[in-house]
Amino acid sequence: MSQEILPARLSRWLFTTNHKEIGILYIITSLFFFVAAGLLALTMRSQLSVPDNNLLSPELYNQFVTVHGLLMIFWVLSPFAFGFANYIIPLQIGARDLAFPRLNAMSYWFYLVSGAAMIMSFAFGGAPDLGWTLYSPQTSFQFTPTIGLNVGAAGLILIVVSITMSSVNFLVTMFKMRAPGMKLKHMPVFPWAILVTIFMMLYAFPSFLAALLLLYVDRAFGTFYFSSIQGGALLWDNVFWFFGHPEVYIVLFPAVGLIADAIATYTRRPLYGSKYIIGSMVVAAIISFIVWGHHMFVTGIGLTSTKLYTVTTIAVSLPFDVMVIAMVESLVKARVRLKAAALFSLGAVALFVIGGITGVYLASVALDHALRGTYFVVAHFHYIMVGASIMGLIGGLYYWFPKMTGRMYNEGLAKIHFVASFVGFNILYFPMFLLLDMPRRIDTYAPNTGWATLNLMSTVGGFIFGLAQILLFVNLFASLRRGSHSGPNPWEAWTLEWSLPSPPPAHDFDTIPTIAEDGTYHFGSSPGYPNGSGYPNGSKIGNGIAYSHLEGQSPWPIVVAFAAFIFFLGITIGQPSNPNVPVTFQPFWPLVLDGAILGVIALYGYSKERFSVHEEINVESWPFREVPNVKLGIWTFLGAEVIFFGVLIGAYFFVRTNSPTWPAVGTLFEVRSGFAMTLVLLTSSLTAIMALVSAKIGSRNGLMASLLATFGLGVSFLYIKATEWISLGANGVFSVANGLPATSYFITTGVHGVHVFAGMLMTFYLLVNTLKGRYLKGDYHAIEHFGLYWHFVDIVWVFLFPLFYLI
Amino acid sequence: MHNALKTDSRHGKKPETQKLAFSNTEVIFNNLFGLFTYLAVLVGVVVFAVMAFLIIKYRERKNSQDPADTPRLGRIPIVRGHGRNLMITLSLSTIIVVALIFGSFAAVDTLLTPPNGTWCYGLVPGYGALSTLNPDCPRIDIIGHQFYWDFRYPGPHAHTDKYVFRLPVNGTVVLDVTSADVFHDFGIIPFKIKTDAVPGRTNTIWFVPYQTGNYLIQCFELCGAGHYYMNATLTVMPAPTFQQWYNST
Amino acid sequence: MNTTYLYLLVFAILVGSTDIEVNIVALYPPASSSVTMLFGIIALSYGLIVSILLGLAGMKALLIALFYQHLKYEPRSLSSWVLIGLVMASLLMSLVFIQLHVH
Repeated sequence: MSQEILPARLSRWLFTTNHKEIGILYIITSLFFFVAAGLLALTMRSQLSVPDNNLLSPELYNQFVTVHGLLMIFWVLSPFAFGFANYIIPLQIGARDLAFPRLNAMSYWFYLVSGAAMIMSFAFGGAPDLGWTLYSPQTSFQFTPTIGLNVGAAGLILIVVSITMSSVNFLVTMFKMRAPGMKLKHMPVFPWAILVTIFMMLYAFPSFLAALLLLYVDRAFGTFYFSSIQGGALLWDNVFWFFGHPEVYIVLFPAVGLIADAIATYTRRPLYGSKYIIGSMVVAAIISFIVWGHHMFVTGIGLTSTKLYTVTTIAVSLPFDVMVIAMVESLVKARVRLKAAALFSLGAVALFVIGGITGVYLASVALDHALRGTYFVVAHFHYIMVGASIMGLIGGLYYWFPKMTGRMYNEGLAKIHFVASFVGFNILYFPMFLLLDMPRRIDTYAPNTGWATLNLMSTVGGFIFGLAQILLFVNLFASLRRGSHSGPNPWEAWTLEWSLPSPPPAHDFDTIPTIAEDGTYHFGSSPGYPNGSGYPNGSKIGNGIAYSHLEGQSPWPIVVAFAAFIFFLGITIGQPSNPNVPVTFQPFWPLVLDGAILGVIALYGYSKERFSVHEEINVESWPFREVPNVKLGIWTFLGAEVIFFGVLIGAYFFVRTNSPTWPAVGTLFEVRSGFAMTLVLLTSSLTAIMALVSAKIGSRNGLMASLLATFGLGVSFLYIKATEWISLGANGVFSVANGLPATSYFITTGVHGVHVFAGMLMTFYLLVNTLKGRYLKGDYHAIEHFGLYWHFVDIVWVFLFPLFYLI
Repeated sequence: MHNALKTDSRHGKKPETQKLAFSNTEVIFNNLFGLFTYLAVLVGVVVFAVMAFLIIKYRERKNSQDPADTPRLGRIPIVRGHGRNLMITLSLSTIIVVALIFGSFAAVDTLLTPPNGTWCYGLVPGYGALSTLNPDCPRIDIIGHQFYWDFRYPGPHAHTDKYVFRLPVNGTVVLDVTSADVFHDFGIIPFKIKTDAVPGRTNTIWFVPYQTGNYLIQCFELCGAGHYYMNATLTVMPAPTFQQWYNST
Repeated sequence: MNTTYLYLLVFAILVGSTDIEVNIVALYPPASSSVTMLFGIIALSYGLIVSILLGLAGMKALLIALFYQHLKYEPRSLSSWVLIGLVMASLLMSLVFIQLHVH
């Protein structure tokens, strides 16, 4: 089989949908952000190295500490892990790519433009500067009147979109595209870790998106969720940390999976208790959603809640005990080969133990009263996020570098890199445990506090750790050209990716392997297909298999991402107008319109493009046998939407139960218009399902009529809503005096209205296609998928109507 | 911009003689922190020692063979490991952790349940015991602003101080902490006690200072560019001196 | 049953329940008291009315999901995505309620 000569053209990378190339893009980009955020950190450490320093002004220091945190958590840790996931997961489960390759590419480009937005925020009057946790009400327009925070929020919204697309993609892939015999229980630990991570991502990130949206609307439209005392600090605290705690596990678990598999490889034995490790990850992921209150132990949530969260936090620490013990026990009677990845993995386990133990300190409410907001906390989470996660991921880089490039890195230099990193890390972070009196996020400190020595030590460690990473880059870069050829399996590992050449060809497997009952792999060959490839059952669908990296290219993902970038930038960079008027930021309309138009064109181009994905017939697909991939993707997405609307409604519930009084039914909003809107939407659900019936029986007139009726009803809904809002505005309902009732109504029904509008765009698209004769010959799936979305929108309204009009 | 005054760097030990500690809250913290650290070091040392021992003992040598169950490319590895060992260590960790946490519930109850009374000095409360002071004693309001703390004294000489917070030694002090603008956090560093200052809510902390002296108060939640500068000094003085000062305001 | 008739039946129930919801609103107790009379016989409190409204909404949602979104006839696992989401959203609201109102 010949290795194709890959052109070094830029367009190859801009338009790729190949999972390996996208994986490489993620890894390289995340390393770039790692260096950027690391430089911010080194500057902060320099500022803190001596007392009463003025290297950085307080304003700049606050921006650095915030952007450092945001970049590392969102633009480094997860993307680095998902770079590996993109490259390796399909290979490990015996698939040729992800379920939705163009969506995958789009995820990457959204990630890139979102990072650009975050970095650009410095130029708009200052980057976000209230910590990555962005507490309220200091983030309100009243206290932060600059638009840098808006631009940063735009970056965050864009990356949440990227992550949601990835979650859906990976979930469908891992459930529906495993090779025959690759049951879930046979998967190595890394894919399991990714599977658990994407579940958490699917359900946690919509909460963050809702929080960001509410913050943005507060700042732009003068609503009151975060600037009122009934909402305010505690509302953000809850909504943010409901996302925030699962998030810190999201950035940890992929590294844990990687470490576990690396330990198995370098100990030359199966992992001890691998199913217990996997089970522990699942349990920890589930519990992670009910521990968030431990970030609020001194916020005054009351004894009952603090004790409750203490119990759940302790419970969540226990699965991690099991994981560590299992990994340590794997070393027994092993044959430990201390290559770079092994050193990083075992080092990461040791650092994770320290981080985990100190987490138990913080789970004690009594100790938290002293330790909250101090450098003890900073040390704790850096031991986990850098010590376990980053070190584990760097180990992964050494582990898979030979597979991805076909070259071996320099082992000696890598070992020096490990020692320098490990030593530097501990000199950097251990003193912070001893600085348990020092507040976090202060830009300097007085000489008589006695904190100077430890801070200086920490800074020295920081520079050692930071400079040590140069060794990593030099090593890998030089080895790209001059490393010895590694061969397909330099580590003699067992997982499927090592059965392929290094680097694998564009189409990955010549034949998808089969795992037999006894656990052996079978790489059969089918006659009659070029290049020795074949399909186990001999069928062929479409032109989807890429035999060259240049097939399967698509320009639309990057264009959609760019359009979204322009659109969100336009919404957020408008200059503040009169601060006394409720609309506090004017969007910059030229960019908003450009982005919207370009986006519509790009989405249309995306949908019209002839891009088919080959779906293997024989796959393991438990528990979603018989469910087609796109339908599964839509239901997955609806799961995320449930959390999104759940949090929006939860915010309403929060402020309402926290408010002593609330307007009586009928005083603010007319029941009549709500009733009309409900009837209209219910009828549109009926017409939508009748459209599906018509399509299935091939009735063109029935389909046209139903779609037209759905479209008309949807537009009527929006029309009634528009007239209602205009009259509410005219009657002064959307005014300061009506604070939270108006805010909650406006935002929640507004977001719902945007969903209706999106549904109308879809209906219009379906109508146009129906005119061309589509959907009548058994290809009715688009109608079905639209219906799933549309009925969901209807269900949300079914709850919003009584919640806002009737109680 | 108020600079912190020198703090005493001695730390209190167990409360045989309560006078050695700065406050009762510091004693609570030190005892608990000490217990946690003792166990943490024990567990950490054991785990690291085991890891180091295993890595060294089972390291790859020129003459060593691959173990019998080495996973090879071409088949799924066999299952290895008893659940039993893991369940044993899991039970052990559960016991340790549960003991730690439930043990500290007593401390939590103490910290979060202010007794009645404030600087009406009288009996010195023992560790964990509630004061039996006059329930009519007023409490002190602490209000956080960008970027300073207000100390609002009640009573016949009610007034508000900034930058210096005066209290009598050995008196039970109950503070009601809130914020006038954004989310702050009021912390008295040597006393190991703090609470969030949230606009619209009042959080209560209490303590008994055991030693006279000056102590550093800082804000522990990032609240803006002046976050570092909203510090203050807690001056604990003998009771008669405090009474004199209060009557003169 | 013919699927079209099934969909129309579901639609009728949906519209009928909405009608009930709107009419129950008229039974809200006036501001001065906390109970009111239905036909002079049964008293309905604010809490009860809210429960009825949310119960009806839940029933409507269930009907749309089971029949219009076809979940009744799909593999059980497909419902898990939204069910998990519902459980989590409920946990969020319950724990928040405890935080705010249970001390």
